[in-house]
Amino acid sequence: MSQITDPSRFGVTTTSEGQSVVLALRGRVENQAAFQLGAILDSTIDGRPESVILDLSDLDFMGAAGMVAISNAERRLVDLGVSLTVRSPSVLVNRLLAMMETAEETRLERALPAHGHLGPEDMSSTFAVSERWASSMSSTDPRRVSALPADPDVVDGALRLVVELTRSCVSGADGVSVSLLRHGRLSTVAASDQTIMAMDADQYATGEGPCVDASLEGHWFHSESLDTETRWPSFIPRARVLGIKAILSSPLKAFGQPVGALNIYSRTAETFEIKDQETAAAFAQKASVILTDAGAGVSEMQMASRYKEALRSRNIITMATGVLMEREGIDQDKAFTALLRLSLHHGESLLRRAEAIVLSTIQTESELPSGANG
Amino acid sequence: MAEDAIDVLNTYRVEAGLSHGELWLRYFELGGMSSGFELETFLYGLVTPAPRDHDVIAHALNERFSELGGDHPVAYLGDVHEN
Repeated sequence: MSQITDPSRFGVTTTSEGQSVVLALRGRVENQAAFQLGAILDSTIDGRPESVILDLSDLDFMGAAGMVAISNAERRLVDLGVSLTVRSPSVLVNRLLAMMETAEETRLERALPAHGHLGPEDMSSTFAVSERWASSMSSTDPRRVSALPADPDVVDGALRLVVELTRSCVSGADGVSVSLLRHGRLSTVAASDQTIMAMDADQYATGEGPCVDASLEGHWFHSESLDTETRWPSFIPRARVLGIKAILSSPLKAFGQPVGALNIYSRTAETFEIKDQETAAAFAQKASVILTDAGAGVSEMQMASRYKEALRSRNIITMATGVLMEREGIDQDKAFTALLRLSLHHGESLLRRAEAIVLSTIQTESELPSGANG
Repeated sequence: MAEDAIDVLNTYRVEAGLSHGELWLRYFELGGMSSGFELETFLYGLVTPAPRDHDVIAHALNERFSELGGDHPVAYLGDVHEN
């Protein structure tokens, strides 16, 4: 899935549309390309355009560094009162822009018009999403049942993006990490550098620290200045040795239960202001959604039983649809609509109504012999 | 809520407090045939679902709203009110 035989080159075409500068991106935006994108955006902004349109329709991949470049440009543009339009962002880019609390001034233009929610057109060619996250979900049989929980690699990739975005958006953040409870133990799944990795490891080793407490207790812990900190006496001296002066740990939750923490470290004391704490909390909340989506913290047994239950319901609904098809002589779609209608009419869930329909056939059949005898 | 917003289904999903995964499971439960990824493209308005698919999503959301004590705000495309 990560083997790319023909890596598409990053490129930008600059054109103008009325008073707007249009930057059409193509290929993959990661690493070096993200720096190039940042430089191009900067020079575009230096030209003081009236508005900037970023066309992502030919984009193959947008990495975190690319998102950071866009986010930085966005902040400059907002300061200058210049509007930014992001055209045809993919599902993932959309989510990330939302995660970065995209300024209200920024417009997101999807590939499709907003009207006509029912159309025969095949829209699948109008959006190009090939980010690793998205492609890993769509590359296999689209009808496979195991779309949940997400591949741990995909989750870790998403959490690495969260780390990178947090680091660039929280002022004073010198290092960021995400710790997660896996198999009953805390471990670091994403970290911005080795010092931060060591910092987390020290907390796991001593069994104390803001990261450990946030992960277990489910609320945030903030050590404004390690020089005066009295909590966590075994861990704090180790952090001081590595030059850390302030730590902010926000809890990550899946299904409302604490499963880890988003940790932000700074070499400057009293650096995290209310606004930074809010940003950290917002990122932690978004990361929590990713974890809940991925079924983190849910045991395989629990997940398996949910699938089993879902599969059972689905079978009953399919059977009931079949019964209605035969009874009414209608096609599958009409039979589903009929089932919906019955469910709404009786004020019951679709499953309850389907069960009643399936049950009615069993009763009819069992009544047959007595009917024949009588 | 703007009924004609391209991502109206996603707005309902957020309002119903369902994660993408949870909504997909409920959709699957009701007979939905699309993958989680395809479901997201429907929610965000990137791809238009078939009428049946739309109604399965609408009903998954409406059943959730019922559980929360609300009514059925998501409109169906099929004729669910005849007779």
